[in-house]
Amino acid sequence: MPPVSFERVCKRFGTVGVVEEFSLDVADGELLVLVGGSGSGKSTILRMVAGLESVTTGSIRIGDREITHLPPRQRDVAMVFQDYALYPHLSVRDNLSLGLRLRKVPRAEIDRRVGWAGEMLGLAPLLERKPKQLSGGQRQRVAMGRAMVREPLVFLFDEPMSNLDAGLRAQMRIEIGALQRRLLTTTIYVTHDQVEAMTLGDRIVVLANGRIQQVGRPIELYRRPLNRFVAGFIGTPPMNFIDGALQRVNGGAAFVADGVRIALPGDRLATGAEPRTLGIRPEDLRIVAGTSSGESDTEVTGRAVLVERLGGTSHIHFDVGPHRMLASVSGDPLPDVGDVIRVQVPPANVHLFGADGVAL
Amino acid sequence: MRPLSRVGLYLALTVAAVTFIYPFLWMASSTLKPPLEFGSLALIPDRITLDNYRIMWSRAPFGRALLNSVFVAGTITASVLVLGSITAYAMARLTFPGRRALNAATVAVLLVPGQLTLIPLYTLIVQLGWVDTYAALIVPYLFNATAILMLRQFFLQIPQSLIDSARMDGMSELRILFTIFWPLARPPLAIVAIFTFMGSWNEVLWPLLVVRDEQTMTLPQLLTVFALGGGAGTLGVSLAAAMVLVVPVVIAYMFLQRYFIESMAGAGVKG
Repeated sequence: MPPVSFERVCKRFGTVGVVEEFSLDVADGELLVLVGGSGSGKSTILRMVAGLESVTTGSIRIGDREITHLPPRQRDVAMVFQDYALYPHLSVRDNLSLGLRLRKVPRAEIDRRVGWAGEMLGLAPLLERKPKQLSGGQRQRVAMGRAMVREPLVFLFDEPMSNLDAGLRAQMRIEIGALQRRLLTTTIYVTHDQVEAMTLGDRIVVLANGRIQQVGRPIELYRRPLNRFVAGFIGTPPMNFIDGALQRVNGGAAFVADGVRIALPGDRLATGAEPRTLGIRPEDLRIVAGTSSGESDTEVTGRAVLVERLGGTSHIHFDVGPHRMLASVSGDPLPDVGDVIRVQVPPANVHLFGADGVAL
Repeated sequence: MRPLSRVGLYLALTVAAVTFIYPFLWMASSTLKPPLEFGSLALIPDRITLDNYRIMWSRAPFGRALLNSVFVAGTITASVLVLGSITAYAMARLTFPGRRALNAATVAVLLVPGQLTLIPLYTLIVQLGWVDTYAALIVPYLFNATAILMLRQFFLQIPQSLIDSARMDGMSELRILFTIFWPLARPPLAIVAIFTFMGSWNEVLWPLLVVRDEQTMTLPQLLTVFALGGGAGTLGVSLAAAMVLVVPVVIAYMFLQRYFIESMAGAGVKG
């Protein structure tokens, strides 16, 4: 029995569908990340699990219990909110223990759990402080502690790190991951940040317009995106896309667009639909030394328009015909702006998408 | 130049303050003066006497009126706070059919001057047989549109996640209101409390209409009847009665002024 299962869950506000036909099982102890842009329905799904948003049709179960229409307090889930939602007038200790007191948990047990969470999250010296007297990272930990002491069946995280600065975010990401692996509590984590999704998730669900685009392990999504949306969403910097058409020439084939001609291995064309878009990740591109030595069907020639040096890697933006592309390369030498560069496009790393955006 | 202009500023402020405070202090000191000294503008009486208070107390049931006033104003204030914040919470944070209409109706109530409803309300009280009862003094004031709108405005600023979190912690809506919202809303609640209490405490016109029995009269009403009816005899006795009226409000203000200043300074809710 999976801890959380969604069966054809739909959410509509009036006539507007926010979540459509969402079906999914979350495994025991899994950290599932829901990722998508704003309006993708990811937070709505989380709030439906919490009971803060009603379900229009379909059902949600936790364990063998149908919870679709239960009030939040009967669901045995705990949530960490984007703005932490700590009670400003209560001390850290009271913030942690309030939910337990309302549930009539015995005093000694409350103390044990608050002590345990305080110890685990390094909050012990802060227990008597008010939220106002804490830093962002400390508030974040209190919010997590409040969820932990409840010892719920499921943790829900709603973009918990979007209010933290970059350095702290990286640190909290590690802490949340480590904590979840230690507690092994089933977790649903919502974020719009694909780096968070990639690093934290056992599995990732990519959402767009209320529909599941793809579900899988992070590396699967990266290597084999099912459609153009997932391909563009997962991976930083995002994948390059070139719209064009297929050209067949005696036995072989090539993807051709304005200024681009890439030979494709025969096995990539087994499927029926005609490819209309070619995708290639910036990190799969390689700058080839030397000037152009005539036509090559695994290379494109472009003009560098911007070079961003990030230290270890550099981003080279270049134009190939009308197409703006980006290569992520490491090491020197780097071209200067305005240089004509040759860029190798390894056919094995090319992603092809049909007219409907589905990967071929 | 700067310190000099500062001196000027303080001088002007002192003059203004004295203008405001002097009549009050003179009234307070005059209640302790024998009748012969009333002509003097001095604040410290030559001879202190409590005769004015003794006479006042013996001529009309001021003790009873004081209790009546405390009961009436206290009940109204408690009701405006409790019922007002429940209504404001529903209007600000719950969705139900007719919410917009309720909002509009509450604003509309503000546009109707009190004098306009005085006669219909009086007729209603007579029909109900409530003349000379506390109900006549209290019931028409149990709800207050200004208070509702003021609290609603404040409740709208409290982050939704706090409510969500409280719901997940297992709180009912009433519990959220009284254990989460109330502690956060202390400044606006204090303002509503003091304005309601003062308004009700000083109300004369309405009690004059619906209460004729001395035992049910509130303090300002009895004072008015007493002073205008010639019962006081001397100015000192009238002023002593006025003193009894004003002291509770001053005390209430002293306790609540911290929230007054906080609220005026626009203190908000911070996560």
